[in-house]
Amino acid sequence: MSEVASARAAGQSPVIRVADLHKRHGELEVLRGITLEVQRGDVAVIIGPSGGGKSTFLRCLNGLERFDEGRVTIHGTTLLPQMERSLEARALREVRAHVGMVFQQFHLFPHMTVLENIVEAPIHVAHVPPEEARTRARTLLERVGLAAKAERRPGVLSGGEQQRVAIARALAMNPEVILFDEPTSSLDPRMTGEVLSVMSDLAQEGLTMLVVTHAMAFARKAAKHVHVFHEGRVVESGPPEQVLEDPRERVTREFLRLAWG
Amino acid sequence: MERALGIDIVCAPPNARDGGRAIRSILRILVCLTLACAAARADTLAQIVQRGSFVWGADQEGGGLYAFLDAVDPSQPRGCDVDLAQALARELTREFGRPIEARFAQGQWDKLPELLETGRIDLVLNGFEWMPERAQRMRSTIPYYVFELQLLVRADAGASGWDWLRTRPAKRVGVLGGSAAERYLAEHEPGLELVSYDGSTNAMGDVASGRLDATLQDLPIAIYYRRNFPSLEPAGELVGAGRYVIYVRRTDAALCDALDRAIRSLRADGTLEAIYTRYDCWNAAQLTSPLLELPRADVQDSRSGAGESSFLARHASTLLQAAGMTVLLSLASFPLAIALGILVALGRRYGPRWVSWPLGVYVEVLRGTPLMLQLFVLFYVLPNAGLRLDALLAAVLGLAINYSAYEAEIYRAGLQAVPPGQMEAALALGMSQRLALRRIVLPQAVRIVIPATTNDFIALFKDTSVCSVITVVELTKSYNIAAMNNPADVLPLAVLAGLLYLAMSYPLSLLSSRLEARLRR
Ligand SMILES: Nc1ncnc2c1ncn2[C@@H]1O[C@H](COP(=O)(O)OP(=O)(O)OP(=O)(O)O)[C@@H](O)[C@H]1O
Ligand SMILES: [Mg+2]
Repeated sequence: MSEVASARAAGQSPVIRVADLHKRHGELEVLRGITLEVQRGDVAVIIGPSGGGKSTFLRCLNGLERFDEGRVTIHGTTLLPQMERSLEARALREVRAHVGMVFQQFHLFPHMTVLENIVEAPIHVAHVPPEEARTRARTLLERVGLAAKAERRPGVLSGGEQQRVAIARALAMNPEVILFDEPTSSLDPRMTGEVLSVMSDLAQEGLTMLVVTHAMAFARKAAKHVHVFHEGRVVESGPPEQVLEDPRERVTREFLRLAWG
Repeated sequence: MERALGIDIVCAPPNARDGGRAIRSILRILVCLTLACAAARADTLAQIVQRGSFVWGADQEGGGLYAFLDAVDPSQPRGCDVDLAQALARELTREFGRPIEARFAQGQWDKLPELLETGRIDLVLNGFEWMPERAQRMRSTIPYYVFELQLLVRADAGASGWDWLRTRPAKRVGVLGGSAAERYLAEHEPGLELVSYDGSTNAMGDVASGRLDATLQDLPIAIYYRRNFPSLEPAGELVGAGRYVIYVRRTDAALCDALDRAIRSLRADGTLEAIYTRYDCWNAAQLTSPLLELPRADVQDSRSGAGESSFLARHASTLLQAAGMTVLLSLASFPLAIALGILVALGRRYGPRWVSWPLGVYVEVLRGTPLMLQLFVLFYVLPNAGLRLDALLAAVLGLAINYSAYEAEIYRAGLQAVPPGQMEAALALGMSQRLALRRIVLPQAVRIVIPATTNDFIALFKDTSVCSVITVVELTKSYNIAAMNNPADVLPLAVLAGLLYLAMSYPLSLLSSRLEARLRR
């Protein structure tokens, strides 16, 4: 709580504000009252044991998943559990315009080239003139080190390359914040390095990011805050040096022992 | 070799005879083999006497007074042909001193000669007219009945008779395919639009409903069914007298003679009169008509001139035209089936329950019932509800609706095969569900379903042959008609029809594998 208070005092404003979020899958309560904020320009990392609700939480933030109680406010737009259809549609449009997402399995569009993957949403959603979109896409590809692969199909790229394309695709919509759901979990160590270095660059440039990851070195270096999820609750939050090196909770200690293991 | 033949047939002008000659020489061998087998069979009459029964073939569908289902006991056929068969059995029993019974076998009317030749029945007894071509192919008994043809029109049509039939615009006249009436009209009344039916009652029903202007029927049929179609009335004088005979295999001379004796005896003792009086169609001609004698000697063993003119000259253009109808049916119905299928699949996958549930029923009903039945309903039943579709439209709609169910299932599976992550990634980029479907999900689903869809197109292409049951003359029907009228050409005709189908479907297969290869890149 004191963290948030001091952030406000410093004149920062939250891009993501979540209050008392509950989500059930039938009998199973997957999220049991999550309250969390991410300030503009911050990198927040979520860690925690499998099944703790990390993915579900991210998916609630951009409306890929509905929730049962609480509220989610992104850049001033609020999502609620029960919304009138047209209001909900408008809120989802607003929220998704400000939130990008990068998935563990990349989910690139296999029937399009790398460049087409990146310009698809700018042209058809944001209505950017095609030439302009392509120019910018090439700049983004350069930034993630893949300028040479623009005309390839995603299927022929390595996992690390695919994930970097996915990051470029998210960046192409100029989001306020990007959600990363275990972006390196299906990559081998070398490819993981490529992707994390791109993400570190983005953090350095001041992009707001909310990252679910098991890459502790990245969390240690890039995160402003680390949140530990366990059984649908945030059991511990704080700066990385505290949460990762001097954890208060038993759950955190156990998780870290396994993660570093 | 096959390929060369195919091209020859498709592009050959009628005077190019080499392809035809090649087919003929191959097929002559086949014909000889078949005939050899038939000759090798033991004498049928001896077999009949020995096993105590003969099998006579007839068609109960639209079979008129000849053979029909008994309303009380549908397992027993009834009709004047049934009575005659039993009377013949009694005669044979008396002659050979052993009990012989008549056993009925159901067969499609125009296929009865094939059933006879392949040994599945011993005789054809079903209002079959004596014709030179038939007498050449099979052996004919003396006539047991002499008939004439009666024109039937709607009472309110203001039709006076044959002169009215010749007035413009050209009249549509329904006939039983391969019947004496069809041949009579084709020969004597050019300028009519002939529509060929599988059963007499369907033709009469279509006159009553207005789809046809008239129908020409054997007089016994006209008399017998009048009460079912009160709106019809006879018009014009009787024409085209002909004889009903019994056919046996060419090799069964002994059986034929025994049947001739039996018929003479039945006529002499008044049994024939008793039978046909029961069905209201006994008349003086049955005892006095000159037609009661067969022009046996001069025709039965002569070869007609048909073999002399080129096989291709006689059949290529009709079959090609019918092949055109097959193509038209396929090309008109399949795109419709695809469009309907896409809508149904989207409705089932993404629609609310009150949309997806009825669509599920739609799919199950159409996949669970035969195409032929659906065509019957569209063509023969809907007019009762006031919706009269012409044959081509009904055929195209029937095929499209039937195949839309199969397409819908393919597309639904295709949509399901696109990983859900694709839709989520698209939504996360801000696309609406509709845009995501159109730009991301559907293009991938299309690649998945293309092989199954092209398969279905080839299947539909072949299923067009079913449309002949609602009077559409496509390739198979056209083959049937040609084969019936030219018994000697049956084998080359079958090969030609088969080659035409192949010539059309093989490019389709090529095209589809090309398409698959291109999309797989
Ligand atoms: N559609 C669903 N239906 C039922 N249960 C679900 C569904 N989606 C997720 N769950 C359950 O919700 C719980 C939280 O899942 P979630 O994927 O959010 O966990 P996570 O913290 O991301 O785990 P991981 O580290 O393995 O990715 C799990 O127990 C999971 O089985
Ligand atoms: Mg997860």
